[in-house]
Amino acid sequence: MRNKYIEAFEKAQIAEKNVPDFRAGDTIRVAVNIKEGEKTRVQNFEGVCIARRGSGTGETFMVRKIGANSIGVERIFPIYSDSIDSITLVRRGRVRRAKLFYLRERKGKAARIKELKK
Amino acid sequence: MEYIVEKIGMSRTIAVPSIPVTLLKVLDAKVCEVNESKRALVAYSRGKKINKAIAGQQKKYSLSAEFNRFTTMDVANDAVGDLDMAPLGEAKKLKVSFNSKGRGFAGVIKRHGFAGGPGGHGSRFHRAPGSIGNCEWPGRVQKGKKMPGHYGNVKVTVKNEVVSYDAENGILALKGAVAGPNGAMGRVRIVK
Repeated sequence: MRNKYIEAFEKAQIAEKNVPDFRAGDTIRVAVNIKEGEKTRVQNFEGVCIARRGSGTGETFMVRKIGANSIGVERIFPIYSDSIDSITLVRRGRVRRAKLFYLRERKGKAARIKELKK
Repeated sequence: MEYIVEKIGMSRTIAVPSIPVTLLKVLDAKVCEVNESKRALVAYSRGKKINKAIAGQQKKYSLSAEFNRFTTMDVANDAVGDLDMAPLGEAKKLKVSFNSKGRGFAGVIKRHGFAGGPGGHGSRFHRAPGSIGNCEWPGRVQKGKKMPGHYGNVKVTVKNEVVSYDAENGILALKGAVAGPNGAMGRVRIVK
């Protein structure tokens, strides 16, 4: 258990953040604020969440997508960072582990994740 | 102005760029005596230690039993009573003093950042300090030569910016790190 004062300090910062409940295997769309000179714009990054780690304000998640020329692209985001505009849950996946690093060795059909049906 | 604080631990903010913060709890203290230069005898609580000398002081200044430690420091108070915490609300920069973590008798790599030798290939030189001087002249070791010895457990003072101050719980958030383990007691002095 973490110290109650550290927890209170972090909770106060996280309180206004609206983050959907997601876990590894879910497909998510992350809207990232990008600053170009004076202007800021929002860029989307959509892919499979392959890991979540950390706790409190330091919690991060990893998103993997297959980019142009079928090259795998992974990005790590801090969940509660102000640089993230929004996180949307696109699809829930049925997976049996918390870290999906095995997807890195899989290609094409083998790298699919079944949708979770209630 | 000085205050007695307890180190709680570290965290971070979610701003861009994120700031690493150290959380300190400002401890309650009672001012027992103040002179004109605002130097005061202050009582605070640490542990449960009590003896006749402490009990006598507590009786003299009519303190409750938990205030069992005494120290002198600069205060904002004019009169005897609870320590005045108001100046912390406007503080921007603090000097923070803590005893650093003790490392015991440490070698030159840990203590002075020497590079050390190669691990393998029969080098026979790993973590030793190496040569410590010249030859028949001067025939002695230079003063101040860095050698193994006791490392840590000395007072380390650093300057930190104040990120936030929660007056209700007495929690100070400072930018960056301070010396010492979590739970250690130290002092902060308002610089600006």
